Amino acid sequence: MMWKLVVYKEWLKIRWFLVGYTLLGILGVGYLLLTVKHDFAFSGGKNIWNSILFLGNQFFSPLKYVSLAGGLIIAIAQYFPETVNKRIKLSFHLPLGENKVLLMMHTFGAVSLLLSFVIIFGLFSGFCLIYFPVQMVIYSLITILPWVLAGFSAYFLGALIILEPHWMFRFYYSLVGGFFLTIFFVPAVTSAYSPANSGLFVLTAILSIALLFSAYRFRKGEM
Amino acid sequence: MNNVIECKNLTHYYGKKKVFENLNFQVSKGSILGLLGKNGTGKTTTINILNGFLQPRSGECLIFGENTQHLSPQTKSRIGFLIEGHIQYSFMNIRQIERFYSGFYPNWKPAPFWELMSKLDVPHTQKISTMSCGQRSQVALGLILAQDPDLLILDDFSMGLDPGYRRLFIDYLREYAKAENKTVFTTSHIVQDMERLIDDLLIIDCKGVLAQTSVTQFMDSFNRFDFELENDKADMKNASFVVNLDKMKNKVELYTYSSESIVKKYLDDNNIKASNFAQVKMVLEDAFIGLTGKY
Repeated sequence: MMWKLVVYKEWLKIRWFLVGYTLLGILGVGYLLLTVKHDFAFSGGKNIWNSILFLGNQFFSPLKYVSLAGGLIIAIAQYFPETVNKRIKLSFHLPLGENKVLLMMHTFGAVSLLLSFVIIFGLFSGFCLIYFPVQMVIYSLITILPWVLAGFSAYFLGALIILEPHWMFRFYYSLVGGFFLTIFFVPAVTSAYSPANSGLFVLTAILSIALLFSAYRFRKGEM
Repeated sequence: MNNVIECKNLTHYYGKKKVFENLNFQVSKGSILGLLGKNGTGKTTTINILNGFLQPRSGECLIFGENTQHLSPQTKSRIGFLIEGHIQYSFMNIRQIERFYSGFYPNWKPAPFWELMSKLDVPHTQKISTMSCGQRSQVALGLILAQDPDLLILDDFSMGLDPGYRRLFIDYLREYAKAENKTVFTTSHIVQDMERLIDDLLIIDCKGVLAQTSVTQFMDSFNRFDFELENDKADMKNASFVVNLDKMKNKVELYTYSSESIVKKYLDDNNIKASNFAQVKMVLEDAFIGLTGKY
């Protein structure tokens, strides 16, 4: 049952950040839907349809960087305290394998992020169904998916960078990571990302264990 | 197995800077051993190697027979570790941190932790980040004692503590270690504190081990003789028995493992005239400085 204790520690670290971020996300979705409602009321349904179907307007584009921000916030909230005074040593000294502890921490962070995204984008989907047909909501979600994956990638990269013991490596990782994340935000028409999503998912999954490398370097005594 | 810690031919460099080379030492079960050395001689490096946070360039350390680079969870549960500066999870409060650690250790004994906490005038809901360094030291010590480990590794436990908290820490720790037959490996930059706590000492510098023995034996065998030379140009540094010699004008402080008679015979044989010859009683700090030098 040691995983419950690790979850307890991680929860204490990120709870206010996670709750705050999720609430802000919900407010953002609320604001977006109010805008849609406003446009329906003042511009009329026909014009909205025209702008979405023929002009390529993505009414959900304000959500573009919401998950990216979430990934970074949770990574910082969770891993920055571990680097202050090299506090990560305490976690490594727990009677568990070092990688096991880290993966438990990481899984908790990723699951928390996932729950937050499910709430935010679930709410978004629910509200959208009031105004738009199912097919359009599905296309919207396919377009949003790379942005959500970018949120997870930002979380995994954030962990890698924050736990890296050498500032020079942190700089290089940030540079490469920043370029990597732009892949998820290439402008495209709605649903155009559909064929690439599985590839992006695999890349994100590979990134999920990148922090083990920083931890390995820390344990080797890199400074 | 009598040795709880065994380090063999330990060598480490930071870049091209040598920290130590072929360092060998052992810590036997039940002893309280203090690792002493000047700044930069590798005390924290040694602690980091012992805890698996640093891979030495060569050599190895064993704790309970296991290489410290690959300690098993079972062995880690037998080691209590105090990080320099009494670092703990500062985002937790007293109640939360006790709850957190208690689940990891099967032999968890909450009584020593709460006994120490009762000495602090703080509510159990107070976050560790808002505590003074002294209070944090009590939290860290309480957690280690509650863990009930067989080996305690303490990295510079004196750091940031006022004399009262240092005394409290030392007295509590020594009484606990002796009563429970625990092994303690500790460093501190305040040698005075070590004298009150440790049974055995290990003094290192960049050349290697300068002394590894019991404090009593070291203090009995290591001597300081003060005298004044008639001719302040007389040179004694090359005498085989001289461990360290501090000379200001004609006043000499000589540190040696040899007896008064040997020193006096050397002076006579070499026709070195000296007056006011006296053996000076030392505390551990004096002896440490005598052995390692002031610079």
